Amino acid sequence: MPLLATRTLSKNFGGLKAVDGLDLVLEEGQILGVIGPNGAGKTTLFSLIAGSIPPSSGEVLLDGTRVNGQQAYRMVRAGVVRTHQIVRPFPNLTVLENVMVGAIHARGRATGAARDRAEEVIGFVGLGDRTHSLPGTLTLAGRKRLELARALATAPRVLMLDEVIAGLNPSEAQGLAVLIRRIRDERSVSVIMIEHVMPAVMSLSDRVLVLDQGRKIAEGTPLEVVNDPAVVVAYLGENHGGATA
Amino acid sequence: MMARIRTLPHSRVVTAYLIAVALLVALPILTNLSIYTHNLMTLTFLSVAGALAWNWMGGFLGQVSFGHAAMFGVGGFVAARILLWAPVPAPLAWLAGGLVAGIFALGAHPTLRLRGPYFSIATIGLGEAARLIFTYWEDFTGGSSGLSLPIDPDMKHCLYWWCLGLVVLVAAASWFIRRSALGLQLLAIKADADAAADLGVSATFYQDLMFCLSGAVMGLTGGMWASYFSFIEPNDMFGFDRSIGFVLMAVIGGVGTVWGPILGAVVFVLLRQYLLASYPQLYLGLYGLLLIFIILFEPLGLTGLLLRLWRRLRISRLAA
Repeated sequence: MPLLATRTLSKNFGGLKAVDGLDLVLEEGQILGVIGPNGAGKTTLFSLIAGSIPPSSGEVLLDGTRVNGQQAYRMVRAGVVRTHQIVRPFPNLTVLENVMVGAIHARGRATGAARDRAEEVIGFVGLGDRTHSLPGTLTLAGRKRLELARALATAPRVLMLDEVIAGLNPSEAQGLAVLIRRIRDERSVSVIMIEHVMPAVMSLSDRVLVLDQGRKIAEGTPLEVVNDPAVVVAYLGENHGGATA
Repeated sequence: MMARIRTLPHSRVVTAYLIAVALLVALPILTNLSIYTHNLMTLTFLSVAGALAWNWMGGFLGQVSFGHAAMFGVGGFVAARILLWAPVPAPLAWLAGGLVAGIFALGAHPTLRLRGPYFSIATIGLGEAARLIFTYWEDFTGGSSGLSLPIDPDMKHCLYWWCLGLVVLVAAASWFIRRSALGLQLLAIKADADAAADLGVSATFYQDLMFCLSGAVMGLTGGMWASYFSFIEPNDMFGFDRSIGFVLMAVIGGVGTVWGPILGAVVFVLLRQYLLASYPQLYLGLYGLLLIFIILFEPLGLTGLLLRLWRRLRISRLAA
């Protein structure tokens, strides 16, 4: 049984089908890349799974149990957590306090005080020397690591990353890619990542799902996907249909 | 359910707090306080408790309520009715008033999805609705002619200590909320309710909880207020200016801090006493000016000013 799955998941905003009958499967221990042109419905898909917005139809299954209709905070406690493309730290709380907010309701209420758990996660993402700084003093890469740390502090089973690598310089991007792999390998967290930075998607993902206008147009290993003509059309337009990516 | 996140308060803070409380307890016994001062201090304690409880919503959660007089009034009238109905000890009646007010506060549940100014405007509506309902519910509140309560002078004298006890408890509760996992979550909701939800924090649950707790303290305060004056009347108890008063106390002292509402309430009551006597026409205008200055120049109010002063002193001492 897959860890997380969606079945004909759809979301309409008025006449616009932001997500249209989507089937998605995430196996335990997998990193699933989600790519697609702007407006393809990637972030909406995350919001649907995270419970931030209710789906118009279809369902979300966690361990085979239907979980859609749950509010966001309940999904977190069930083990599904997301990060945001535009990072949203609590500006008046220190790095430690930011992460502690996530640690308080950690799934299964792992033993140990929230503070200890938060400190451990902060060390894991490499912000150990900034524990008592305010988020505003961190670089963008630092704030992305903080966003990761907060999400990890909730002890998730499924971590949804919305463009954590985008906007970083190559060495920072490399650092975060390494971190994402460690999250999967060392903390046994399964990952769904939306990403535009293709080298990162290609190297990290076990499987890639391509969305266009709310629909799945391709799915497979990274190599299969980039050679799929439908994907090339979606990214480059009809005239390039014959070109290889 | 709460994870412990911080250690106990600094021992110096606890010592200072206990000494201050002990001094206040002993003050009327050791010195010959005039009745005027004795009473003024009793009323100040009640204002401090109210301002602290208001701050749980307005400060910690960032939901500025302009309707807290509603719970104050409900607590007052429930306590009054109980005291008129049966010879129960007054503290039990106050507790009952607090309990009912806390439950009554949950009636504000529909405002939960509103944040910021929208929430504030909704609370104005709820507060005024409560005032009108209780003014016209003559069987319960006696309407505009109010209710007179039996009270023995001993009780009125002892209220000083009861009210001080309330302040001690509410101040300690404020401190623990601020320093606990609960307080951290409240601050997270205040900063970004959606981001907090994405970390497992239910904004609706904590807002209900804080509204209920804050309302319960308001109700307790209202009950003691009723006993103190031995006469209460809906338009006064539920008055809009009473709601504004709690907002002003917290803002003057420093919204969201633990000590701010205490400082603010003391300054507010004393200033009001002086201004009402000397410039009865001007006093509301002066509060308005004060509010503008604080919001423009020192959003943390008196607490912010004191902190700045303290830092400057420390820097000059380090430089010397």
